Amino acid sequence: MKLKVGFYGITGCAGCLLSVIFNEDEILDLVDLVDLKAFPFVKEVNIDEKFDYVFMEGLVADNDDLKTLKKLRKNSKFLVSLGACASTGCVPAYRQYTLKENYEHLIYKKQKRLQDLKASPIDDHVKVDYYIPGCPPDKKEIVNFVKNLVIGKEPKPFESPVCVECRQNGNQCLLDLGKPCLGPITAGGCDAVCINGKFECWGCRGPTKDMNLDLMIKMLRDRGFDDKFIQDRMRTFVGLKMPMIEEYMCSTGTANRLKTSFKGKKEYFE
Amino acid sequence: MERQKTFENPYLPKPYKVLSFTRESSDSFTIKVDMRINHEPGQFVQVSVPGIGECPISICSDSNKYIELNIREVGNVTNALSKLKKGSVVFVRGPYGNGYPMRSLRGNNILIIGGGCGVAPLRGIIEFVANNREDYEDVNLFLGYRSPADMIFKKETKKWKKDYQVDVSVDKVPHGQSCHDMRVGFITDALKEMHLDKNNRVVFICGPPIMMRYVIEILKNKGFNDKQIFISAERLMYCALGVCCHCMIKGKFTCIDGPVFRYDEVPK
Amino acid sequence: MQVFKLQKKGFNEFLEKVRSSYELIAPIKEDLVKFEKINNVKDIHLEKNSYFPVKEYFFRKEETLFQFDGKKFITPKLKTPTRAFFGLRRCDLAGIQHQDKVFMEDVNDPYYLEARKNSFLLGYHCPSAPSEYCFCGSMNLEEFFDIMFYDHETFFLAEIGSKKGEFLVKKFSKYFSKTNEIISEVEKTIPGTERLEKKDISKLYDHKDWKKGVDICLSCTACTALCPTCYCFSIHDEISIKNTKESERKRSWSSCQVPEFTKVAGDHVFRQEREERFKHRIYHQLDYFKEKYNVNMCTGCGRCIEGCPTRIDFVKIINEME
Repeated sequence: MKLKVGFYGITGCAGCLLSVIFNEDEILDLVDLVDLKAFPFVKEVNIDEKFDYVFMEGLVADNDDLKTLKKLRKNSKFLVSLGACASTGCVPAYRQYTLKENYEHLIYKKQKRLQDLKASPIDDHVKVDYYIPGCPPDKKEIVNFVKNLVIGKEPKPFESPVCVECRQNGNQCLLDLGKPCLGPITAGGCDAVCINGKFECWGCRGPTKDMNLDLMIKMLRDRGFDDKFIQDRMRTFVGLKMPMIEEYMCSTGTANRLKTSFKGKKEYFE
Repeated sequence: MERQKTFENPYLPKPYKVLSFTRESSDSFTIKVDMRINHEPGQFVQVSVPGIGECPISICSDSNKYIELNIREVGNVTNALSKLKKGSVVFVRGPYGNGYPMRSLRGNNILIIGGGCGVAPLRGIIEFVANNREDYEDVNLFLGYRSPADMIFKKETKKWKKDYQVDVSVDKVPHGQSCHDMRVGFITDALKEMHLDKNNRVVFICGPPIMMRYVIEILKNKGFNDKQIFISAERLMYCALGVCCHCMIKGKFTCIDGPVFRYDEVPK
Repeated sequence: MQVFKLQKKGFNEFLEKVRSSYELIAPIKEDLVKFEKINNVKDIHLEKNSYFPVKEYFFRKEETLFQFDGKKFITPKLKTPTRAFFGLRRCDLAGIQHQDKVFMEDVNDPYYLEARKNSFLLGYHCPSAPSEYCFCGSMNLEEFFDIMFYDHETFFLAEIGSKKGEFLVKKFSKYFSKTNEIISEVEKTIPGTERLEKKDISKLYDHKDWKKGVDICLSCTACTALCPTCYCFSIHDEISIKNTKESERKRSWSSCQVPEFTKVAGDHVFRQEREERFKHRIYHQLDYFKEKYNVNMCTGCGRCIEGCPTRIDFVKIINEME
């Protein structure tokens, strides 16, 4: 019996779903490996029934998202959070760090329904069994994940920092060049793709359990970055899952407001 | 010391036939493998499941005609191994490591203390002693499990009880399980009540790290010295050849200096 | 040891001859100095020490140990071309020597052996310490090379260190001229590289000063990736997507600086604390390795300090310990 699998998306850019089909060389074998019941992004006929695994892209931004998510959770044995939005809230969740007046006029007045809910990662609402982090996730990682499922191998997250692969790839350390690279506190598994292209890490795969956050912040300050900048940079992709942020960032004044909206997601680290 | 040079690929596992498969408890089983090797009790082999990986398993038998492996399903490889059946092929390389130095301990009384799946390597000693009974004096066993259902080697334990002093304790008895012939409580409680002469006695301990720590504390309070105590260590291991370094405990390699250490030689 | 003289004028021509006979690998400067296959001998960069070690040419970052075809394991047939390495400093050579001990003395690692056996090691003696972090002078490195080149104003002196070296001299005899010059013990040392004081660190394990390094450690693993000797690896299996019965067993570099290094099934980590991991590396380099192989693993190249984002100078930390 092949595993029944579905790929779904809620609020998001569909980039993570694209990452799945960007596996041009493997996609046909991949589809062959499992029983692909639903993939509304590319498939016309989607059988919405009971799944073994549902891969979920996107974050919960409105009530429709929540309804879809809860239904799919109920219908699946395992729920996989696909990409940064689903895992950490990513860029769309950033709206919580700024005042409503700053963004309301852009689109949200027209799109009333978006204000129904706090923008939040899916594990704020339902139990998530596995995470495939990244904005977008590494396409090979998705293939490996599915391959492991098929042979009954528990997929293990890559917990070491981005620097591990970066240094093995023979890159120059961007911190040495004065760039605000978050590699040392960010979980790797992406083959340090950004730094290979000389672009600093923004931390899209989430913090490592073992990160030395004190030191990272000190290093960025030493390189001339102010706290507002550091705070913004660290929040861009993983704001909702970066713990203890207020403790460090009290000087900027946004901290007090943050306390009401920020809940440290401890479970993510355990 | 003469260096051992192996000219065949030391990473290459070979196929062997599974002679029998016995379920021991809900999460552990024993396989008997048609691997004819000379080995000491306490040594281990690397068992492979192609596509999934490799893991170290200690040999729990004493024979050069076959090996028996007790495996607890805790990870990917061990879960995959649980699908083996009589007649299937399993990939193994070894044996590796330093076993229990049984030959140099002749003439001693033996005290064996095992907790949970830690009883498996100790079973090798019990079988070795049975095969060389005249070389050793009294044998006492203290075995501890979480619950009666977690007990392994049930059949063997019955046999051991005929020949040796065996004390089985279980931490708790969940509803619906019976604990005939067992003591309810931690193995450490059983040991505190123990009245064994410490002279001329060696102790073999294997079990979860926390259990080993408390057991050693009790033994030391009873006057046992470090040189009488042998422990078996567990570490992450890949090569088993003393190369990959994952199993290092300070400067010692669990895979070649261990897994059995005399307690005074454990790196602290 | 036999000594020959090579005029600097014809030296590039000599290297070009080597390049046309073998694959020539030497340091070149891109963003950083690293060992690369040379296409034009003019690219070779000798002013600065290579930032990255040469180890990946012998102990590969990732390599396939076997393929599994559904029934049996198949060892891949490897064929590394004969390679000549030029511009190896004493620390690079010691790194190779120490990895030889690990992979070729106690065990016969066929993958390392295959990559290592057809190679010529041409050293370059540092006229002065190429980096402020060097401390090879403190490490009692042994002489280990096929040919070592000593830089003089208009010529190189070439010291022959092995049969392979003699073979090269014969093969390229046109460039090697006889000389009466000798290389004194003083010339073999590198001034300014004796930073690490002689200390028995085995008694200092619980010293409070280690914290100076631990506090500024990110556990980013740059130190182990850049070390010319660090040889830890992990092994993993990968299945083929075409046929899930087929798979490959691969090994890849791994680093003792991350918690996963000692994580067993059931998620227990044996070296969880950053301090334990930090000290494990230093002690493996300066203490544990010596127990087994009678030589320090550390070669004193200072790359782990130069490459560290916070420049943790363990040499200074040890020197300052009381």
